[in-house]
Amino acid sequence: MKSLLKPRLTKNFRFRLYLIFTATIALLTAAFASFYVVTEVNGFRSTLEREGRLLATVLAQNARLPLFAENREALALLAAGTARYPSVLFVSISNTEGRVLTEVKNPKDTGSGAIDMRVEVTSPGLVASPEAVLLGHAPVDEKRVIGRVDLRLDTSGAQERLKKLVAATLAIGTLFWIVVSLLSYQILKRVTSSFNLLMHGIEEIGSGNLSARVNLDSDDELGRGANAINAMAASLELRELENLSLQEELLKAMKLEVQEEKKRVMARLIHTNKMTSLGLLLSSMAHEINNPNASIRFSGHIIAKIWADVVPLLDGVWREEGDFYLGGIPFQKARGALADNAAKIVENSERIARVVQGLRDYGVGDGARLRPDLEVNGAVAAALSVLACQMQQDIWLKTALGNDIPVITGNQHQIEQVLINLILNAMQSFPDGRGEVLLTTRHDCIRSEVVVEVEDDGVGICAETMERLFEPFFSTKLDRGGSGLGLYISQYIVAEHGGRLQLTSTPGKGTLARVILPVGGPAQKGEGAGR
Amino acid sequence: MQLLRTLLVCLLLLAPLPALAYDILVLQSLREKGYDEAVKGVKRECAATMRTVVLSDYAETDITRIIREEHPRLVIAVGDRALEVAEKQRNTPVLYMMALHAKPHQRGAVSGVGMLFDPARCLTVFESIGSKRVGVVCDPSKSGAYLRRAQVAARRSGIELVVREVHSPKETPSMLDSLRGKVDALWMLPDVTAVSPESTEAYFLFSQGERVPLVSFAEFYLTMGGAIALGIDRFDIGKQLGAMAQSALEGTPVESLAPQPPRRVMLRVNEGVLRRLKISIAGGG
Repeated sequence: MKSLLKPRLTKNFRFRLYLIFTATIALLTAAFASFYVVTEVNGFRSTLEREGRLLATVLAQNARLPLFAENREALALLAAGTARYPSVLFVSISNTEGRVLTEVKNPKDTGSGAIDMRVEVTSPGLVASPEAVLLGHAPVDEKRVIGRVDLRLDTSGAQERLKKLVAATLAIGTLFWIVVSLLSYQILKRVTSSFNLLMHGIEEIGSGNLSARVNLDSDDELGRGANAINAMAASLELRELENLSLQEELLKAMKLEVQEEKKRVMARLIHTNKMTSLGLLLSSMAHEINNPNASIRFSGHIIAKIWADVVPLLDGVWREEGDFYLGGIPFQKARGALADNAAKIVENSERIARVVQGLRDYGVGDGARLRPDLEVNGAVAAALSVLACQMQQDIWLKTALGNDIPVITGNQHQIEQVLINLILNAMQSFPDGRGEVLLTTRHDCIRSEVVVEVEDDGVGICAETMERLFEPFFSTKLDRGGSGLGLYISQYIVAEHGGRLQLTSTPGKGTLARVILPVGGPAQKGEGAGR
Repeated sequence: MQLLRTLLVCLLLLAPLPALAYDILVLQSLREKGYDEAVKGVKRECAATMRTVVLSDYAETDITRIIREEHPRLVIAVGDRALEVAEKQRNTPVLYMMALHAKPHQRGAVSGVGMLFDPARCLTVFESIGSKRVGVVCDPSKSGAYLRRAQVAARRSGIELVVREVHSPKETPSMLDSLRGKVDALWMLPDVTAVSPESTEAYFLFSQGERVPLVSFAEFYLTMGGAIALGIDRFDIGKQLGAMAQSALEGTPVESLAPQPPRRVMLRVNEGVLRRLKISIAGGG
């Protein structure tokens, strides 16, 4: 219990103050008491000395004439009179030669000490001789020593008085200390009650209970401090509530954003999945179309071959029998028309085969196979053929293909994919579906680069969008089926070919997409870069 | 400095210059205010030419030679020492003043004004305060003659002088003690044995203790408790002597000029003491 109480007490402000007060009061009381005792003792001693000196002086004054006249009887009377004082132990009157004329000893126990006093007996000053007086001399204060008075004083009274004084001072000092300490305790208790209230309130607030308040109703410093702390606590409480509210809102927002992001990711995944499925579908379709198409083409060839064999025979019939009808058409017309139709069957079948092959290649891809003889214009034509069905009537696609464009090393299908992406983007840049797309190819002899440009006069791209164009899954047409991967993949492909994909756009005026491919292919570019 | 002065005076005295002609050589014991006042009185009364020599200014002064060489017609001695020095020569008459120990009947041509009043005049004071028994303490070797004159005058006035003779200042207190209850007034004479600085106090203690008035010879003692003081007027003494000197210069032999007491008495009283002693001076003082 004591060990628990001790640290609590020592950390208690009131107890510390009380300790300081009582210690200070004790010290001050002790100091004052000591000072008083010392002063009193000194005062008593000096009073005793003064009294003794006075007695001796009076005796010296009274003994002046008897001493001058050497009247021993008178001196003895005077000495006896002085010796009657209780503090006087010894009286002696002697002349200048040291001869004792009278002496009185008091048979007292000298006890602890005595004070010896010696006063000289002098002739009266300011008294001149008759001659000097008659001559009008000014009186001169010239005193002549004619003897001396010796006095011994008993100081045992001082010792007794000192003891009593010390005892009384100790008693009064202790009483004073106790009374003042009690008063101090009461005053401190009253003074520190406000402080304790303040501390209790602060501790309550400090422990996290911001709704707690310091219940101190006063207009002094502590009261003002309590008001300030209450205001601070209220402010903290308000902030805390605001923080909680903001935190909740943030959590909600984060949840919403995560959900939207999740949706977007899922949409992209679905889209990618769709694309993958579309690729598989295209491959499957190509397979399903290619088989009957091959049969058709074969049939066309057979028809054409048969017809070629039949025509001489029919020509002989015609020449012999005249004109006749085949399928309701005169032979002469049918002869050419059948051959043409057979050729058309073959041609269209081949076209179907190419389209299907293109779709197949687009959907499945043909790997990273690079061709050293890739004709860029051919790739452009292939891309246009793929996009032929996408062409809208209000969009005018113009091409300006260069004639002297060298072959490059590259993957035709990938280049086609790049071009399709760029052309599709250009075609989708018209808000009202009406516009002009210019597709040009040229050879930059100086840089030994083949440049393909797709330019439209659509809405253009704003600066914010421009910064994020090549980010994967970034699209302004997600709602219209955009995957956000077109430009990202295109840039990747072009970069794989050692080239550059540049996009410049002026909002409201249009966009120019430029594909720059090195003539030597990626190796040359890499070597060039290495160099 | 003193040696220089002596040498200078000796040089002046030895110089073969014609002697300065003057009538009176004033020999002054020392430079003293009281002496100066008296000399002023002389000069006021006597128009003769004078030369003043202050003896204390010189270590040794050969007055005889000065007088022999300068031939003053008269020497005025101021103070006891000057009188003593002047008396060493016999050729020039000497007049003295302010000499307490001057004998009334000096040998040769010596006369002057004493410092003690005529006892009869003093006794009138006692008469005026109604004192019949007057205590006197004195040294017969110093004040014997004066005392005798006083006793004569007292008898004439009906006053009894109770005399105590002392031969040492130490005897004064006991002698005064012996006067207790025997006198109704005390007369303090300017007797250096009876009145010493150490014993002066005894007179006033006696006066106070016995409640008898003390008649002293100087105003100074009134401050110590004296009742009446019969003081001298030093200037008037000078004038008195000046008249004697004038008379001597005019041809009156000094031997024929009797020594005179001071003619003017300066009576001073301590009103407080008189009131305390319930004494009044008859005739209003």
